[in-house]
Amino acid sequence: MSLAQKGRRVVLAGLVLLGGVYVRALAFTPVERFQGPAQKIFYLHVPAAVTTELAVILVGLASVFFLFLKDPRLDRFAEASAEVGTVFAAIVLTTGPIWGKPIWGTWWTWDARLTSTLFLFFLLIGYHVLRGAVTDAGLRARYAAVLGICAVVLVGFIHMSVYLFPTLHPQPIVLRPAKPGVPPEMLVTLLLSFGVFLVLYVGFVMQRYAIAQQREGAASDV
Amino acid sequence: MSEGVPQNAGYLVAAYIVVPVILLAYAASLYRRSTRS
Repeated sequence: MSLAQKGRRVVLAGLVLLGGVYVRALAFTPVERFQGPAQKIFYLHVPAAVTTELAVILVGLASVFFLFLKDPRLDRFAEASAEVGTVFAAIVLTTGPIWGKPIWGTWWTWDARLTSTLFLFFLLIGYHVLRGAVTDAGLRARYAAVLGICAVVLVGFIHMSVYLFPTLHPQPIVLRPAKPGVPPEMLVTLLLSFGVFLVLYVGFVMQRYAIAQQREGAASDV
Repeated sequence: MSEGVPQNAGYLVAAYIVVPVILLAYAASLYRRSTRS
């Protein structure tokens, strides 16, 4: 079985498991008293955001190692992880405003967290545009690696932005030094959803990596 | 549901539809690209 086929199976499993998360979130997780049903967007928005950050951190790590080792597999992985991170960032930027409207009374506000997340999305788009614009494979990989490292710096800023600037966006309630600030039923649903997003990330990256391999094979045949 | 809880399930439904749509669209895009010879 090829890597792409394995990736497709992993994604299929992830989508089925996502259905399970929906059932658990909608039927077996309590409604938050102050925010109402819309609070359950949390179980998609937060795992998508954490997976985006993870994807970009892995892009940065692969990019740093690529600059030292010049191993094309690292560049291929960075490209794959950046594309999947872009898709998850799109989920974050879609579910965030849908959650924000009923809770904050506005779809969007130009505060540090939201603006820097949007900037990360544009940076990832720029990463793909850059890759598409440079024809020389060695140069493309090097330029992309530098941009990938810049993206990791931005992820650090996004994470700290809720502490550094006044914002409507809540501070972390799970990934914080103190005990998680959510009830156990909600925490279990959140962690399950995070696990499913990780499965989807792995499946998508496997497929995207296989596509990059195919393209390189086709390019070397020319 | 107790009285006083905001009635905003429409936003929940919208978000829970948008996410699989994005994921399925991306899965379809990957499938198309990987099977294109």
